[in-house]
Amino acid sequence: MAIRRNKSINDKSVDVFGAALTRRQLVQAGGALFVGFGVLKQSTGAATSKNSLDATLPGSWIEIHPDNTILIRTGKSDFGQSTTFTAYRQIVAEELSAPFEAITTVVMGDTDRTPDGSGAFDFLGRGTPNIRKAAAFTYQALLDLASQRLGVPKSKLSVKNGVVSSGASGGGKSVSYGDLVKGQQLKLTIPVSGDLTSVMGLTVTGNPPLKPVSEYTIIGKSYRNSVTTSKVTAREQWATDVRLPGMLHARMVHPKSLGSTLVAAGKLDKTRFPNAQVVVKRNLVGVVAPTEWEAIRAAQQVAGDTKWTEWKGLPGNANLFNYLRKSADWKTTRVTKSDKSRGDIAPTLAGAAKKLSATYEFPFMKHAPIGPTLAVADARPDGTVYVYTHNQNPQALRGEIAQMLGASTDQIVVRTFAGAGHYGRSNGGNAGAEDEAVILSKAVGKPVRVQWMRPEDFQWSTQSPASYSEVEIGLDAKGRMIAYQIDHYMPAMQDDRPVGAVLAGLPTMPAPSEKGVFVGSTVNDISDPWIYDGVATLMERGHGTYQVGQKASPLAIGMRDHSMRTPGQFQQNFPRELAISEAAALAGIDAIQFRIDHAREDRAIGVLKAVRDASGWETRPSPRAKTAAAGDTPVRGRGVSLMFRSGTYWACVCEIAVTPGTGAIKVEKATIAVEPGIVVNPMQLKRQVEGGTVMGISHALLEEATFDESGITASDWRTYPILKMADIPEIKVVLLHRPEVGSYGGGSEAANAIAAPAIAAALFDATGKIARRLPLKPAYVQTLLKA
Amino acid sequence: MATIIVNGVRREVQAPNDTPLLYVLRNDLELSGPQFGCGLAQCGACSVLLDGKEIRSCITPLSGAVGKEVTTLEGLPARWAQQKGLSKTDAEKTLHPVQEAWIEEQTPLCGFCQNGMMIKATELLERVAAPTVAEIKEAFTTSGPSAHLCRCGSYTAIIEAVQRAATVMGKGR
Repeated sequence: MAIRRNKSINDKSVDVFGAALTRRQLVQAGGALFVGFGVLKQSTGAATSKNSLDATLPGSWIEIHPDNTILIRTGKSDFGQSTTFTAYRQIVAEELSAPFEAITTVVMGDTDRTPDGSGAFDFLGRGTPNIRKAAAFTYQALLDLASQRLGVPKSKLSVKNGVVSSGASGGGKSVSYGDLVKGQQLKLTIPVSGDLTSVMGLTVTGNPPLKPVSEYTIIGKSYRNSVTTSKVTAREQWATDVRLPGMLHARMVHPKSLGSTLVAAGKLDKTRFPNAQVVVKRNLVGVVAPTEWEAIRAAQQVAGDTKWTEWKGLPGNANLFNYLRKSADWKTTRVTKSDKSRGDIAPTLAGAAKKLSATYEFPFMKHAPIGPTLAVADARPDGTVYVYTHNQNPQALRGEIAQMLGASTDQIVVRTFAGAGHYGRSNGGNAGAEDEAVILSKAVGKPVRVQWMRPEDFQWSTQSPASYSEVEIGLDAKGRMIAYQIDHYMPAMQDDRPVGAVLAGLPTMPAPSEKGVFVGSTVNDISDPWIYDGVATLMERGHGTYQVGQKASPLAIGMRDHSMRTPGQFQQNFPRELAISEAAALAGIDAIQFRIDHAREDRAIGVLKAVRDASGWETRPSPRAKTAAAGDTPVRGRGVSLMFRSGTYWACVCEIAVTPGTGAIKVEKATIAVEPGIVVNPMQLKRQVEGGTVMGISHALLEEATFDESGITASDWRTYPILKMADIPEIKVVLLHRPEVGSYGGGSEAANAIAAPAIAAALFDATGKIARRLPLKPAYVQTLLKA
Repeated sequence: MATIIVNGVRREVQAPNDTPLLYVLRNDLELSGPQFGCGLAQCGACSVLLDGKEIRSCITPLSGAVGKEVTTLEGLPARWAQQKGLSKTDAEKTLHPVQEAWIEEQTPLCGFCQNGMMIKATELLERVAAPTVAEIKEAFTTSGPSAHLCRCGSYTAIIEAVQRAATVMGKGR
């Protein structure tokens, strides 16, 4: 009966706000509504792939099942943000007016099973992530189906808990979503644009009506992350657990330096390692064996016997900023200017009553996942390649592997599993082991698991780039900022070339250059949105160059960089926010009040006031100390920072104690106010903010990727220490829920940037001395305080 | 070849005696709790209990586990059930209070280090019924071969979860 009543939908495609609803075939049992997309106009290569694009295949965003359960799929890989398992379920349930619990399955990050691509960043899409629009289209299609079924105009229908009702005026009829799809094979084709295997993936276009925020009942609640339970009970399948029949274990023998080429690969001692095998492809050397322990020991033996050329083409970290200032090429790459830059800066600065002129330095930092990169690759005789890994952008990896092999993307499948957080390192598609596993698997004709060891993960991975910034601020006689100028200098931030492919001499995308586009470019964009619109004259410029050592290295490698959580923005926000605190002191005005005085946006002022109240901030100018700090008695100070990122305002107050005699800083309390507009899941957001803050304190106090003339010298947790539990402060998180903003800003990647400028300002408050370089290690602080 | 007792079960293992216990647990016994983090006893991701004491399985040779009781994350529920004398039926549906607390507090972010964190928490709570925050920090920072490291920064959530677990474990004592 149900099928007959849907006749008009059976026969033709129904337009749903630009999406097309069709019925594909009658089915005797089961049935479902699949939400996918049609063939793309822009990118035929990816779009005509047999994988993940036909919504009748299990690759659609949303499936409504006859038993009223709902499955969602996303190309985004959750790396600890919890978003795909909490916020995404909440968003879909909300748009569909279905119970949160109805979404029983979340499929993520498999290139043959999930519809869109892109990286593990910007999950909430500044309010309209793909999954929200897909859900909004689906809701409209379900209303169309219900209207047909119940014979009631769409406008009279309402939905609660996944049941559509016509209300009293419509005859009091109702039907569940499950019943609407029962016995049918319905397909909703929604419009998309973009390139599936590019860094940004596909974007859902069109403008389906979105549920009014005032009607939200699911968003805003603290649902649990379903994956937490499986991880805590050892039931999760991690990438580290992937075992294929016949799989070999591999360890790599990476070059002696970031510019060394292979002279002769070491000979394997077959008497000790009878089952091992050495694979050499140009400068790529790997050792495979049936057991992991044999692979490790055999690789160590081979490494000791392998000859590489010498290379000393890096400046070394001690000479880094001297090198960047005097030797780096800042002329070839186009200089950028922020959209807000305005006014005649030079005369305004010249006419200022008081001036601040300072340079800030920001070191290379490692993403430093707690587990080193690994991947299992299965290069099959028919030319297809399966990669099982833990990757923030599986579709981009798929494209990179296809390019490396000269294969079609149709031949490459990437499956994603849980693993250690990468903090942006694999957002461009690779973290290190993936392409190497593919190369070795092809060479030996068996599935191969490549696991990097801890030193390799520090020394052969990418890092967050170093930078320096020159700031000039002009104040008038009353202490108001009348001019602000900043010049940011940073090498290319994102090198997505798979390093194994580079070593093996196989095809990759070009190294970052002035000719590159988007993330492949050396252009340094302004990434830290200006908040102090009360300043009339502003100049923000970004200067870019090649990666350090990239041109000099015979391997074209050098210090490869990659975005980290707040890419570019951390490098730009640290100098800006510390300089603003310095300017406030120069003006003799409290640092929070000074910010409020120059901000114009209500939301920015809101987080500043919230952090002031929550931290118990005493309104007064900095520094507190009138005399030089010395000795072994700790002195205390506080500092503040402000940032806007991905639709969210952040303000942070750090209170520190510093011991002048040793230079040791202890952050005693951190208070963070966060206003993302709509708070989707308070519990999960709070945990993200706490975690990001701890990482940010770690960055500020401890982290610098040291390197010499040949390569990175940080090799383990002793040479690259991170914050330990005993060193954490009391952390107070204030979540500001402002539904009237109407969108949900991001909350999982930004918190790492906010601590550093607040801590440096607190050091100034405590001692009157300004540390303009990170990290604030004891030796540096001690020297600074003695000066 | 060696015989070891893992989570209460005797297991025959073919691996050479110098193989780090971690690889035996993961590859030979297909357990997924302990993780490879550093191989240097510097992070704690690979922790297991050896006769109730937290050790780093990445540097402990297989031979070092012979004749001793190894407990991994997988074995925590049974360990608790045995300590409480739970019936078989009750034991099957019971998690270790540390695991329950980790869920209640939504402690993990990426979760890769949490195996070691929960192993350390179990060791601590078996020794100290109601640890102070200072004692918890000491346990996770200086008591073992190295601090237990969490790159995602979940330390606050871990402290809260340990305190919650202590409350549950303390009941009926």
